[in-house]
Amino acid sequence: MSSLTFDPTYAPHSGRHRRPSVISRPGPAPRPVVAEVATVLAGLGFGACVALAVTAESWKQLSAPGGVAMFLGNLTGLAGTYLALVMVLLVSRIPVVERVLGQDKLLASHRRLAPWPISLIFAHAVLLTFAYAEAARSGFFGQIGAFIRSYPDMLTATIALVVMVAVAITSVYSIRRRLRREMWWAVHLFMYLALALAFAHEIALGPSFVGHPLTRFVWSLLWASSAGLVLVYRFGLPLLRTFRHRLEVVEVHPEGPGTVSVICRGRNLDRLAVAGGQFFEWRFLARGMWWQAHPFSLSARPRPPFLRITVKGIGDYSSAVARLRPGTRVAIEGPYGTFTTHARRRAKVALIAGGIGVTAIRSLLEDLPRDCDPVVILRASCTEELALASEVAELVRHRKGRVHELVGPRSEVRIDRVCELVPDLANRDVYVSGPEEFVDQVVSTALRLGVPKDSLHFEVYSL
Amino acid sequence: MRRAPAVVIASAAGFAGIVAMHGAGSPSLLSGGGPSAPVSSPPTTASPSTTPTVVPTGTSRTAVGTSENYGYGVLAAKVTVRGNRITDVSVATIQTAEQYSQQLAQQVIPLLRNEVLSAQSARINGISGATYTSEAYAYSVQAALDTLGVK
Repeated sequence: MSSLTFDPTYAPHSGRHRRPSVISRPGPAPRPVVAEVATVLAGLGFGACVALAVTAESWKQLSAPGGVAMFLGNLTGLAGTYLALVMVLLVSRIPVVERVLGQDKLLASHRRLAPWPISLIFAHAVLLTFAYAEAARSGFFGQIGAFIRSYPDMLTATIALVVMVAVAITSVYSIRRRLRREMWWAVHLFMYLALALAFAHEIALGPSFVGHPLTRFVWSLLWASSAGLVLVYRFGLPLLRTFRHRLEVVEVHPEGPGTVSVICRGRNLDRLAVAGGQFFEWRFLARGMWWQAHPFSLSARPRPPFLRITVKGIGDYSSAVARLRPGTRVAIEGPYGTFTTHARRRAKVALIAGGIGVTAIRSLLEDLPRDCDPVVILRASCTEELALASEVAELVRHRKGRVHELVGPRSEVRIDRVCELVPDLANRDVYVSGPEEFVDQVVSTALRLGVPKDSLHFEVYSL
Repeated sequence: MRRAPAVVIASAAGFAGIVAMHGAGSPSLLSGGGPSAPVSSPPTTASPSTTPTVVPTGTSRTAVGTSENYGYGVLAAKVTVRGNRITDVSVATIQTAEQYSQQLAQQVIPLLRNEVLSAQSARINGISGATYTSEAYAYSVQAALDTLGVK
């Protein structure tokens, strides 16, 4: 189905007439060295923090009452706070980093790392309370009161700890599941506040910082820089892009049962450097939707002044998307994602889409060169669910490739049939996108068939 | 994690770097045990003497203990003994890193003096809320007593 405003047909670059409204700017290429540099820096910092705790300690202090607990308390404080800094930077969406690692991997790393800083910081509080109580021969809980009353910046540090524990508890999967997404998100944002509140007590009381102006300066610089990066890249840049492009919904039209395409119009879209296969976080400024941002891939390269996404109505939110009224303003964050032509290692490709995963494949195809001999597999439960199939077919035809439509219920169609359809899968770059279960199955099949990990790219569509 | 070896090596390098920059001067776990070596990075002004000195005055003998860097400042205690008895303890040098430690030291040092005099040794209880100050004081007193050959 075609739209009134957005023409998704692709005119191949024949040398004569290049369609002026299709701008081919796949965006800057990622530089893999950034990932290596970032991990080395992270390691260096961690080792330095541990060393700060060790060099501030002496054998005498260790043998004093509460000495060992004091040392461990200092060590856990330094290590835990450093890891908290790493956590913040992981999700600060710094473009050079995001281009290489991808927002989905960065979020996954953020989630995996999470138990460490929170456990270390909690241990830090318990250990130091115990240590000071031992040295002062007072009770544990009395010592907590003593901390808050008599030591500088300990009240804010205690508040910070309470907030951190609250954020951690709400993020535990079994609890997060029961919370509404907006509620979880609002609590989570308080982590920035907690880290800011805790800063003062670190340099006022930490043995590595007291009397060591250089260490204090470096630590403060580290925190100030991180705050700056968050302000600029997590909040500033998305705001800038939203205002520069001023997107608004112009049309919503169906692509199939439960699936709609949303066309947005904006300004200066020729300056939006996005690669096919990338996504944005979309915040539709309509009632009931403005407090949520959801990721949707572009389902075609921008055709200034238009952008298109194609959304399947699975949850409340995606169903609300189908009811969007023209004129609704849109705030965007992005582009994010490494599901692009830049990730390609080989000349030939295989593109495997499950359900609505076809959107990323569809826009990726526009960026692929003519000699990539694409084999595309579209998987859907029934033929009507094959959204954008005709567009995909057209793009593939221009590249002299093949499309296979695997249609049918899950009980009948087995994913490992892909090996029959693409006999030389191990020699291709494989792009998989769709629901989690689908992607998992295809990825494990592909790995089993000998596709190297570096040539396997996937995008999981979660609810 | 594929990059785990790089992270581990970088951590070791960061660790080594800080240890190297810290130097062997200040007392730390890595520079060996025992009483502190001469202070190499005092917070404010350099302390005049770091080794114990003995000044004989009649039957009263006085010694200044080692300068103890306790993280929040540096202090050295001066002990006066008559025979085998500690008759006076005072502070020969003290520099604190910041205002809070300064106030704390001022409040706590008279109490510590009383503790040493009543215990007649450096093995004192220490004052709650001033752990590091108390320890530094006690160690400095002990060093002075060692020099005097008492207790």
